[in-house]
Amino acid sequence: MSKRALSDHLRYGALHILLIVAGLVALAPFVWMLSTSLKGASEVLSATPTFWPEAWRWQNYLDVFEQVPFGRFYLNTVFVTVCKVFGQVLLAALAAFAFARVRFPGRNVLFIAVLAVMMVPSQVTLVPNYILMKYFGWLDSYQGLIVPGLFSAFGTFLLRQYYLTLPQSLIDAATLEGCNPLQVFWHIALPLSRSILIAFGVLTTLWNWNDFLWPLIITNSTDMQLLSVGIAYFQGQFVSNFAVMMAAAALATLPMVIVFSLAQRYLVEGITMSGLKL
Amino acid sequence: MALDVGRGSRSRREALWGYLMIAPMVIGLGVFFYLALGASLFVSLSEWDILTPLRWVGLENYRELLSDTSFRRAMWNTTYYTLLSVPLGLIVSLVLALALSTKVRFRNLYRLIFFLPVLTMPVAIGVVWSWIYNPDFGLLSQLLDPLGFPRIRWLTDPTTAMPALVLMAVWHGSGFGMIIFLAGLQNIPREYYEAAHIDGASGPQRFRFVTLPLLSPTVFFVAVTSLISAYQVFDIVYAITAGQASDTLRTVVYLIYEEGFVYLRMGEATAIAWVLFALILLITAVQLWLQRRWVHYE
Repeated sequence: MSKRALSDHLRYGALHILLIVAGLVALAPFVWMLSTSLKGASEVLSATPTFWPEAWRWQNYLDVFEQVPFGRFYLNTVFVTVCKVFGQVLLAALAAFAFARVRFPGRNVLFIAVLAVMMVPSQVTLVPNYILMKYFGWLDSYQGLIVPGLFSAFGTFLLRQYYLTLPQSLIDAATLEGCNPLQVFWHIALPLSRSILIAFGVLTTLWNWNDFLWPLIITNSTDMQLLSVGIAYFQGQFVSNFAVMMAAAALATLPMVIVFSLAQRYLVEGITMSGLKL
Repeated sequence: MALDVGRGSRSRREALWGYLMIAPMVIGLGVFFYLALGASLFVSLSEWDILTPLRWVGLENYRELLSDTSFRRAMWNTTYYTLLSVPLGLIVSLVLALALSTKVRFRNLYRLIFFLPVLTMPVAIGVVWSWIYNPDFGLLSQLLDPLGFPRIRWLTDPTTAMPALVLMAVWHGSGFGMIIFLAGLQNIPREYYEAAHIDGASGPQRFRFVTLPLLSPTVFFVAVTSLISAYQVFDIVYAITAGQASDTLRTVVYLIYEEGFVYLRMGEATAIAWVLFALILLITAVQLWLQRRWVHYE
């Protein structure tokens, strides 16, 4: 074997070892989560912990729903996430198209005002928005969870970048046919931007599903709890039953893993765009 | 003339449609951002527990922060967290991206594996990692026991608590940076590598003189955004401590949450948020200024 080929082999081997070790580190907490979630209460707390559960206790996954109103948390989270994602995508796309392709006085100033939102950390407006919810009577309600989060400056910026690249001839043709700007948006721009809309949608699904601070402060009844806050609350209460907590953690993560496997390409695209175009 | 009138009314109609289409976004941000921003400044200059009427105190809240030990502690904790987690996260995500930018087998599988932690809900991370760090039954103790290490209370021992949080944060966040770096690496034209190869550049030299300069805008972007989000760390702190953060782990946003929504000191909470905002702006400005020295734009 030539020296060159040998060093290539060595490098390739080192690369594989690196990836395998990193992969094991990335996966270990998940494996640990799943294995613990299937253990019995005594096995969890045994002095010599086992890696493989002695008896697979699927009951833990049912216990989650019995000991905690987990079903309710789940439905709340799905409902709030779906509403926010559809609202954010639609409102951002509408505004983005207008900022990119419709002419009106004050367009640049207003667009800069939208961009400025991205610079301010959300904690600055946390207290006033909480007061506003209290004033509207929206504390501990779906409106309170959904409405303040419907307006994505980031989405508007991202989608505008795309709409700027649409060929003017398409828009002109539709206008000559008698379409108004809203119709051009709906019939031409929206279908053409399908893939970037999904990319933004998937990215924001991830953010909304895992969102924590806002739901933490504005919900207090068990009925209105989202998974992120509900599990945290029960972690404080039932810290002793680790196996059940692990089952809850696994169930809360599962939908994002499914979304990612189905829409991996779009999510990667969304992150890539957020990194390259900002 | 008639044509001109037609055009005028048409552009007026177009403008009207424009306003209509941006109206939801502009009104929404107007209320939940700009109105809130003004109110926030006002609240930060007052003393208010929501229950009794607000009392104007001027700059008192800010002045108190200067000598407030818990604020100083939280500031230091957050800075410590940022200084550890940002460079470490950058290195890990860059190394992962470089490894996956080769034609190695199972690339897509590895990418999925490294991205899984990003998808995980912070509270789930907290549940799992507090169990990993559990001194009696945890995974870490199991691994270290046979090597003769003493049992360490990772999350309560003041020397190990923050590094333990950082390790968890790097595990959680590196997949995101990795994806951005992979995209940045894909954008480097192959010709540069071919030219460097012909000139006889070795592997490390190609990395130093081709990859790194051309990737520097991406490195800069990831550095800026991860610094901003590191200074705002909250979810994972709450999750790993089950909402009972100790003095060692209390970060700035955690303090904002506590002051505002546990002790109902809205003025203090908001003043801290403004200081955090100013600090983030300052750090970002410094980074923008420094980038001229090391970021290469084509």
